[in-house]
Amino acid sequence: MSDSKREPMLDMFIFETLNQLEHLEQSLISSEKSSNLDASINEIFRIMHTIKGSAAMMLFDNIASLAHAAEDLFHYLREHPGIGIDHPALTDLVLECVDFIKNEVAFIDSEEESGSNPQSLIEKTSDYLAALKGRQSEEQAPPATSPESEKALFYISSSERGPQPEGGPRYEAVIHFSESCQMENVRAFLIVHNLKEIAGNIKFYPDDIADSDASIELIRSEGFYISFNSPHSQEYLDSFFQRSACVDHFQLSPAPPESEIDRGSPRGCRPERPGPAAATIPPAPERFDSPSPSIHQSMINVSVSKLDRLMDLVAELVIVQAMVTQNPELEGLNLDNFYKEARQLKKITNDLQDTAMALRMVSLANTFQKMNRLVRDMSHKIQKKVKLELVGADTEVDKNVIEQISDPLMHLVRNSLDHGLETPEERLTAGKSPEGHLSIEAKNFGGDVWIEVKDDGRGLDKYKILARAQEHGLTDKSEAELSEKEIFSFIFLPGFSTRDGVTQFSGRGVGMDVVIRNIQAIGGSVLIDSIPGQGTTISLKIPLTLAIIDGMTIQVGRNRYTIPINSIREAFQITEDELVCDPDGHEMIFIRGKCHPLLRLYQLYHVHPAARNINDGIVLQLEHNGETICLLADSLLGEQQVVIKPLPNYIKLQNSNIKGISGCTLLGDGSISLILDVSSLLKL
Amino acid sequence: MKTILVVDDAIFMRKTIRLILEKNGYEVVGEASNGREAISMYEKLQPDIVTMDLTMPDMDGISATRAIHSSNPDSNVVIVSAMGQDSCVREAIMAGARAFIVKPFQESFIVETLRKIS
Repeated sequence: MSDSKREPMLDMFIFETLNQLEHLEQSLISSEKSSNLDASINEIFRIMHTIKGSAAMMLFDNIASLAHAAEDLFHYLREHPGIGIDHPALTDLVLECVDFIKNEVAFIDSEEESGSNPQSLIEKTSDYLAALKGRQSEEQAPPATSPESEKALFYISSSERGPQPEGGPRYEAVIHFSESCQMENVRAFLIVHNLKEIAGNIKFYPDDIADSDASIELIRSEGFYISFNSPHSQEYLDSFFQRSACVDHFQLSPAPPESEIDRGSPRGCRPERPGPAAATIPPAPERFDSPSPSIHQSMINVSVSKLDRLMDLVAELVIVQAMVTQNPELEGLNLDNFYKEARQLKKITNDLQDTAMALRMVSLANTFQKMNRLVRDMSHKIQKKVKLELVGADTEVDKNVIEQISDPLMHLVRNSLDHGLETPEERLTAGKSPEGHLSIEAKNFGGDVWIEVKDDGRGLDKYKILARAQEHGLTDKSEAELSEKEIFSFIFLPGFSTRDGVTQFSGRGVGMDVVIRNIQAIGGSVLIDSIPGQGTTISLKIPLTLAIIDGMTIQVGRNRYTIPINSIREAFQITEDELVCDPDGHEMIFIRGKCHPLLRLYQLYHVHPAARNINDGIVLQLEHNGETICLLADSLLGEQQVVIKPLPNYIKLQNSNIKGISGCTLLGDGSISLILDVSSLLKL
Repeated sequence: MKTILVVDDAIFMRKTIRLILEKNGYEVVGEASNGREAISMYEKLQPDIVTMDLTMPDMDGISATRAIHSSNPDSNVVIVSAMGQDSCVREAIMAGARAFIVKPFQESFIVETLRKIS
């Protein structure tokens, strides 16, 4: 695929195929859970069928042939309900096929050649089918309705359209179909079927146009011979054949009288039997007494890049809106009407922004469903019984955020299963039910989404963690100096692993640090709670969106800083004598019986403040993950929505340790404000 | 311009067919993703031609073809089916389909088929 221009349908193919596989997987796993495959057979058959068709269209033969094999298998299962199957084995097989196709699609997506060969998997699938068939025929004699007799149903019913035209001169025709048209027998069937309307006494050869590969070959090589009586003119009949689909060429001529056909039909063909008589009259058309209400297409697919662009534009609009309405040139003017309209503009801009953001919101359902598969596979492999509970899967977060949390979530689930939950025996000894319980819960909370991964396993062993951390030189503090949460957070450090054995799924000492890195990258945070013997809860706090935050802009000297409003607990003024100093000279503020460290921003960033004295400034108390810090600022400038822009690279490169700043934003007057990152301020 | 209703449960297929048809001067007036939708959209849109997939959820292409044909004897339903669905195609023809196309199909093929039947 060296083509730089992508086939326009390719994205659609990838998107839909992956969606369908997802669907299939869910259906498969839920059917395995309920040990009832019947409901899913149809669906799986249909999905494999669709994938086969689409893949064949795109010339992805690997996918098409594998999907075809799977389709055959499920076709058989569909035709033979109640045939005993080994459910887990079948599920494994189908999942293997799903994985293969997914993998192929991934390669297609990255425009590489996969180089993998589906042949062994196809064989495995057909072997499975063959085994099923073998068993079936052993168990019972072939069913009364063998495929052959079913096929007979489809013979042409001549009584279908009332009396067929009789009489008229007799004609004969040899029809050759175009080379690539496929299914020649059915094409012949179609012609005969259509001919019924204008001709009678139809005979044709080969006379078995039902389901015989031999006749396909014969039609391909020799053509399809047909003779009939028709009152219509030869021109009319000519045009009839011309208009039949796929007819490449044909010869139509008046036929010798009936008696002579037997002797002298072309190529010695002997059309012996008349057009097959109606064996069965097709069932009456279904009635649709309650036609479904008219259907509108209410969903469209939009590419993410367009949504990104929209979001960018809206963000620009938000800035410009502020620039216009807060333009310094307006100061001092009496512009009542202007401000009235400006408020309206602001309201609409806000609505627009909300809508643009809502467009990007995706429910967590898909991400959550993936965990079903993960838990299933793992619990089989490591032989633990696990009940997975998913709560709040309809919670929505930004599309970009979703992409960032899928991996961490998977790591957490793996970890819980691998390290957290005990084996059934251990659980019984500990007086718990042998089946472990893992729940993943998502909920909205303020401007954030919380996702909790909770197990009822053995819990974290803080002594082991501490010992391991000291062993790896991750800390030199003793237990007394560390809080439980601090000890737990060691497991997120790179290179930390309390497990000596490495399993297939987790425990390589990577993973948990990936969790925290990914979550922090999107401005979220991770909390750990654990009670020994009762289980562990890991909570991810994730912002709804990445692009825009509600911020409070403050001034220190000539600089502006913006603080995410969610992390501001309160703002107040204090006097000098409320300040406390610890022996190291760290300043603290005593509020309602608790001490909070004070940070003077002007000291941190070396600016000249208007308020060097704490009496003159204003103090903001900030909170993050349960920790607090107080910040001294000159003044509050006001609350507004700001668009987060990353710091330009040249600043980042020159100043590799910019402390406490997560980005910057443009204010309404065109000046730049630095966005403070509360979590890193706390670490200073 | 001939109007067409495209029926297929796969978006990919619908778009592919739409692309081909629109390129060749047909107007795709609607897309349905199952038989039931197809019937109600047929009644509403009265298209000149329907391309009909066979395997679909809710209601399959054969039943839909039968229903459309019984209330609209002049309808032009073209079956779009995969290889090897011989018996289904035959059943669909009995149900009133006018022609059929085998997936995977070539552009010229589908255009030729549609040109011939209407």
